[in-house]
Amino acid sequence: MSAQDYRSSNYEYVTARVRSRRSKLFDDDDYRKLVRMGTSEIARFMEESEYEAEMNRLGSRHSGVDLVEYALNENLAGHFDDLLRWADGRLYDYVARYLRKFDVWNVKTVLRGLYSGADRAAVEADLIDAGEFSEDELEALLDADSVEAVVAALDRTVFGDPLEAALADYEGSGLLVPLENALDRTFYESLIAGLPDEPGRATSLYIEFLRAEIDFRNLRNALRIARSGADMDPSEYFIEGGRLFDEQELRQLVTDESQLVEHIRESTYGDDLDDALGTLAEAESLIEFEHALDAALLEYADTLSNRYPLSVCPILSFVLAKEREVDNIRAIARGREAGLAPEEIREELVIS
Amino acid sequence: MIDATTQLAAVALQQGAPALEPVAAAAIAVGLGALGTGIAQRSIGAAAVGAVAEDRDMLVPALIFTALPETLIIIAFVTIFVAQG
Repeated sequence: MSAQDYRSSNYEYVTARVRSRRSKLFDDDDYRKLVRMGTSEIARFMEESEYEAEMNRLGSRHSGVDLVEYALNENLAGHFDDLLRWADGRLYDYVARYLRKFDVWNVKTVLRGLYSGADRAAVEADLIDAGEFSEDELEALLDADSVEAVVAALDRTVFGDPLEAALADYEGSGLLVPLENALDRTFYESLIAGLPDEPGRATSLYIEFLRAEIDFRNLRNALRIARSGADMDPSEYFIEGGRLFDEQELRQLVTDESQLVEHIRESTYGDDLDDALGTLAEAESLIEFEHALDAALLEYADTLSNRYPLSVCPILSFVLAKEREVDNIRAIARGREAGLAPEEIREELVIS
Repeated sequence: MIDATTQLAAVALQQGAPALEPVAAAAIAVGLGALGTGIAQRSIGAAAVGAVAEDRDMLVPALIFTALPETLIIIAFVTIFVAQG
């Protein structure tokens, strides 16, 4: 870390605030209580927690599970806007790049909405205004009435070219997967691209964190392909920049699941993923493994943020943890609404 | 050049009067101590303000930790008495 970076970024301030917020996230006990509650009780529980302001604001317009969901989204967007407001200098750049993830989320939401024929209001409510797109751009996305129109609306953004390339694939197969993967790939590749050539310590930590995330994403894709036995070219879904596989290795490994698992066990993440690999061997479906993977990524992020307290890691770790919390509560609320048993819901949660 | 070298040597060997009076040296020591305190408090202060902004109850611990580096300047202060004694 050069003196210049250190002066322009305010790691101390942001990490102090982030750690404080991190400690206010729901813990194991809260989840245990939540999975046993009915939807109205969940809403009341949230009104007494840090979601109070959002719950009260949205309370007049929505109710039940929808209220919970919109309050979650709004709270998430609020937190991440705060992060950008606090951060200065290089740190701001890192956080902003990472939060572009929500642009991807928004585009995906719009695409899925179109694909499933959801109405505009429903899609709009699910957007999270935390990324780089302005409100006008989001409006333009919402106004699009076909998948092609969405791709056209994104023409000038970083996602334009890759999406156009994936469009043919979509039209051929009728599946959204090529488009979604194109989005993910662009996002991850633009995260690392354009960083200073000679990374300082701050930058190298940032890269290390992202590498882990890319590796986990590749791993998930590889396993999905291996499990489904689909005849797809894995390199099409491969994201550059990780250190777990390169393209060649991946192509070989997806044909044989046991070999793939062996490769992971011997990698740097072997220890972190030990539990996850255990569940993979037992589990019938991939869902459990994917949750274990998410939990392992959270844990890895925590390890990094404890090891390097004054860096971008605690902040990214908070972003991840917050996203997991929102996902968890949404899963609980939706699960209870659908009448799932507490044990079943618990399996859907990612708790580190 | 050579002239300057001999002068420098004279200062280094403290021929004649010492380059710095003891009190002046103590003043520099105190000053440097204060500088160190400032650098330490910069980071701690920023983190403390962040913590207090999130949670008012943190005010007392935040004040304590912000004041901790003051010990540096207090110890530096002792040099004045050592130098005078």
